[in-house]
Amino acid sequence: MPDALLDKLRAAVGAANLLTGVELSPYVVEGRTPEAAVFPGSIEEVAVVMALASQVGRSVTPWGGGTAASVGMPAPRAGLIMGLRRLGRLLDHEPGDLTATVEAGMTVAALQTALGSRGQWLSLDPADADRATIGGVLATNACGPRRHLYGTARDLLIGVTVVTADGSIVKGGGKVVKNVAGYDLPKLFIGSYGTLGVIVEATVKLRPLPGQEELVCVRFDRLKDAGAAVRAIAASDLLPNAVELLDGAAAAGAGLAAGSPTPGGLLVVGFDGVREQVDWQRAELARLTGPLGGRDVRPLEVAAWARLTPAARAAFGATAAVMALAVLPSQVAETMEQGAGIARGRGLQSAWAAHAGVGVVRGAVASDPAPTDPAALAAVLAEWREMARAGGGHANLEWAPLVVKSQVPVWDDPGAAGRIMERIKAQLDPRNILNPGRFVAGI
Amino acid sequence: MSPLTDTRKRELRRELESIVGQAAVLSDPDELMVYESDGLTLFRALADFVVFPTSAQHVSAVVKLANRENLPFVARGAGTGLSGGCLPTEGGIVISMMRMNRVLEVDYENQIAVVEPGLVNLHLSWKVGPRGYYYAPDPSSQQACTIGGNIANNSGGPHTLKYGVTTNHVLGLEVVMPDGEIVWLGGKTREACGYDLAGVFVGSEGTFGIATRIVVRILKKPQAVKTVLAVFDAIDQASAAVSAIIARGLVPAAMEMIDRLTIQAVEDAFNCGYPRDADAALLIELDGLAVGMDTQAEHIVAACRESGAREVRTARSEAERQLLWKGRKSAFGAYGRVSPAYMVMDGVIPRTKLPYVLRRVNEIVAAAGLRVGNVFHAGDGNLHPNILYDPRKPGEEARVVAAGAEIMKVCAQVGGSISGEHGIGLEKADFMPFIFSAADLALMHRLKSAFNVSGLCNPGKIFPTKKSCVEVGPVAYRPHAIEEKGLAQRF
Repeated sequence: MPDALLDKLRAAVGAANLLTGVELSPYVVEGRTPEAAVFPGSIEEVAVVMALASQVGRSVTPWGGGTAASVGMPAPRAGLIMGLRRLGRLLDHEPGDLTATVEAGMTVAALQTALGSRGQWLSLDPADADRATIGGVLATNACGPRRHLYGTARDLLIGVTVVTADGSIVKGGGKVVKNVAGYDLPKLFIGSYGTLGVIVEATVKLRPLPGQEELVCVRFDRLKDAGAAVRAIAASDLLPNAVELLDGAAAAGAGLAAGSPTPGGLLVVGFDGVREQVDWQRAELARLTGPLGGRDVRPLEVAAWARLTPAARAAFGATAAVMALAVLPSQVAETMEQGAGIARGRGLQSAWAAHAGVGVVRGAVASDPAPTDPAALAAVLAEWREMARAGGGHANLEWAPLVVKSQVPVWDDPGAAGRIMERIKAQLDPRNILNPGRFVAGI
Repeated sequence: MSPLTDTRKRELRRELESIVGQAAVLSDPDELMVYESDGLTLFRALADFVVFPTSAQHVSAVVKLANRENLPFVARGAGTGLSGGCLPTEGGIVISMMRMNRVLEVDYENQIAVVEPGLVNLHLSWKVGPRGYYYAPDPSSQQACTIGGNIANNSGGPHTLKYGVTTNHVLGLEVVMPDGEIVWLGGKTREACGYDLAGVFVGSEGTFGIATRIVVRILKKPQAVKTVLAVFDAIDQASAAVSAIIARGLVPAAMEMIDRLTIQAVEDAFNCGYPRDADAALLIELDGLAVGMDTQAEHIVAACRESGAREVRTARSEAERQLLWKGRKSAFGAYGRVSPAYMVMDGVIPRTKLPYVLRRVNEIVAAAGLRVGNVFHAGDGNLHPNILYDPRKPGEEARVVAAGAEIMKVCAQVGGSISGEHGIGLEKADFMPFIFSAADLALMHRLKSAFNVSGLCNPGKIFPTKKSCVEVGPVAYRPHAIEEKGLAQRF
């Protein structure tokens, strides 16, 4: 990187907030070292840095907590890391409005602590809450088990401020919970993986903290029966806030397979509300699942919540790849069984965990005890994707080493809609400097 | 203003007939007049043609023809919109979706339905109701408005407080793009593949293309429902009660406010059981599990009493509940009893600003020498001041329009929005700078260009413009045809 550019960046953010050389080691992704990492202290500084990068055509990777840094393809050329950690404030929280405005670099855990002190929360529970930042969670559309009842970022984000590729500061939505003025820009930036702009500020809808919350698990000898239980719950009067399904390997990975033998399937269901509601629902769950083969209904400790989303990956000492499949809720158990069969057929072990009520399934392939044969792994992942597509869904490679990602496309094919996505990218980032090549359709 | 010669028009009519059929094209000015307005009759514009396709292929062929001829086009549902969003402002083709009104598929196990855009909102709930399901977004015109129109406007309704607006219930859409290509955005699964184009499409007011199939979520009907009416001697107390309920950690399914003028109009017209001498009433609905509901209702009652409610009662039967809702939902029709005409405003404010903004609304309208009735979604801060006026009195309508702009400015000043559910359309295009900067609007315009490359798809909407071919201004208020039939009211 030319010294003149470094000088300008230093002038923009202060020398202490520009990293180069060996200081960049935390920002090395897939063996690629960025040219510099910049940590602006205000939205205006983000805009200045972005404008500078745009002028010289340097690529920019927005960086929150780095928890999803390896998702997608790495940039083909080294560029700048735009670190948001100095934008970490809760700007506004008005409990009476059930809204909060927060800077992008604040961690989810810090936000929840601040909101919780006033009896409210952001009903979004992504993994790694201690490190994951609001900006990163929005950009990657991260979520957790409670999405079953409370939805995902698209249901909670009501306003967003971004710095676009040319260094403009732009906002969409607003600060009120209901708003149809203008296009829904918050939706555009959710899950866009930093390819359209740098999210710098967000306004979100909040909820009151529930009086009680409880996580309950039910063991099944057969995964299939647990799948039937998921459908029975959906058709019942229960209002769970989470409906998770784990196979034996994932249940063990999440430390939930107490007793032996390992269950064929573990159904984990969350309830919240006032005490009597939680009690009634737990009893009703036992009543519903018993005839379907469910047994050992027992409450889990609070810490179990955070282990659910990463359960498949946690099943093995070393993981070769994790794929996230979007399917219809009714297909979840079948997808898990079929997927495991595909892996076994190639001599590979797999583990499966799902946000079952919404049809989001994660399969992980073990790479221990012996290193995985890359060809077999690629074949398994391709077949998993085909399986999701056959049911009308799709699948993305959530984690894998670069060698695997170069064989199996990370992102599923968005079809004809991909052309619209390309046009949006070309309109918003005509010089292709924001996370180039990382996302869907080569965007 | 039509750029078409009579000869060319006849040729195009024949060509359109060859696509959609002879009985599915209108071009006679008398017939076209039916389509010159939506529910906001302040604006009018005549199309060259109205067509009634019955398939995505029809829509695609019509759109391709429009592109070839450089004719603007706009989709139209039931015409209940309240911002002029479906008006053919520059002539061209109105594509009515009313003959594409089927429920194509219901998958109860996965709680989704695939519908055509011309399906009337309420008809979907009727269809899935016998199996214990319903479609949650409930705009007050739901007896008439279509799901396609709801998509365009991202429509809300009283129960959006708990259940969200249209966008929260749409998983995917088949869309005829502005160039005629048929594309799926999203699908039946919950995760988008790539950018959330379905999310971006919903609420784009018909400027990104025309939806021809829609995948929506259907919800299980709640196990129990409880409806509470709280009566107040001062409207500020009712506003305070809204905040007090939220402060107790409760999020009701709906929380609607009705002011004195509206109560009196409703009671004159329908006798729904609201006390005529009250300054304001709150209609609060809880739903969910039967167990625990009484406890929650007690909290609601306590919050209302602490805020000064003189009376709080719970509907004891479904009939009583329906009667209370009838009062709320018929309010707009009832204004006809007290005024020859009214104009409905739609603004959103932070809930905590309700007392201040309601006072300002009253001051602004009083200063204009007019009266206002308020009936609105208090729980999410979505105001609907209805300014009453007499269109026969010279200058009154201009004063209404000016007062409306002032009210929008107040909403913007307190950190709110200029539309919660009616859309920007034509009506509020020039108000967009109240809440968006030039850079914000420029980005929106770039997004529009990615979908609507030629600009022919519903031109002249959302963005502030200087020129307009629309007839605006001193025209007398006329109730929309469906209002006259009692099929819809303005909310």
